[in-house]
Amino acid sequence: MTREVDARGRACPEPVLLTKKALEESGEITVIVDSRTAEENVKRFALSMKCRVRIERRGEDSLLFIEKPLSAEASPEAPPYPASGPIVLVISSDRMGRGDDELGEVLMRSFIHTLGEASRRPETVIIFNTGVRLAVQGSAVLEDLRALCNEGVRILVCGTCLGFFEIRDKLAVGQISNMYDITETMLGAGKIVQI
Amino acid sequence: MKGADYCVMLFDSVSSTLLAEKILKGQEIPHKVIPVPRHISSDCGVCIRFSLDLRNRVEPALAGKVEFREICAL
Repeated sequence: MTREVDARGRACPEPVLLTKKALEESGEITVIVDSRTAEENVKRFALSMKCRVRIERRGEDSLLFIEKPLSAEASPEAPPYPASGPIVLVISSDRMGRGDDELGEVLMRSFIHTLGEASRRPETVIIFNTGVRLAVQGSAVLEDLRALCNEGVRILVCGTCLGFFEIRDKLAVGQISNMYDITETMLGAGKIVQI
Repeated sequence: MKGADYCVMLFDSVSSTLLAEKILKGQEIPHKVIPVPRHISSDCGVCIRFSLDLRNRVEPALAGKVEFREICAL
C-alpha cells in the first residue's frame, strides 16, 4: 500500500522530515512537493537511504515515487562510523579568521584560489552563515569555486542562510542544501577542515 | 593554461596590494589577488596577478599612487 505525503507549501526542511517519517512507517511512498528545491532535497534524502526514486512533474508539482530497498542492511538506521572518509571543508564565514574584515576578505580569496592548486582536494565543501555570500553572483571567488565544482568537488550551500540574507535567487555555484545533508556529510567525513 | 602568460606584482604590504587592487578595479583592468607563489617567496603574502599583455596598462595606472616591489613572470 503506497502512502501519500502531501508536502506542498511546506518550508524546508519539512518535506524531508515528512518523507523520513513516512519511510519509517511504509516501504513505498509518494511525496508531492511544489518546488524544485524541495524535490531535489527529498530526492537526495531518498537516494541517501538507498531508495529507488522516480519523479513525475505535473505543472508546478513534482511527484516523487519512493521505494525502500528490500534488504535490511540498507535500513535508515545510523550507518557505522567511517573509519576513513572524505575530506570535508566547512566554510562558515565570508572572511578567513577573526579580526580585520578587509584582511579576512583577502585571506579568504587567497585561500579559495589556492584550494584549486592544492594536491589534495576536499570531496565536499559546505558553506553556511555569511560564507554563502561567496557562492552568489558578484562574489570575487566565484570563478575559483566554479572551477572546483567542475573538477567534481561537491559544493553544498545552506539554503536557510541564502534565505536569511535574501540572496537565494543569486546563487551562482553549488547546490542549495539543508541541515540534514550538511549534518550527514559532516558526520560521515574522515576529516573536517573548518575555516 | 596558466603558464607564462601571467605575471605577478609584488608589494611590500597587504595594504599596498589592496590599494593597487582598488585602482585596477576602478580602471577595469582584469587582475586577481592571489597568494605570492611559493617559488617567488616563502612569505605569507598576497600579490596581484595579471596577464602579461596588460603590463603596459597596469604600471601606468599605479604610477605615483602605490609603490610595488617587483614584477615577476610566472
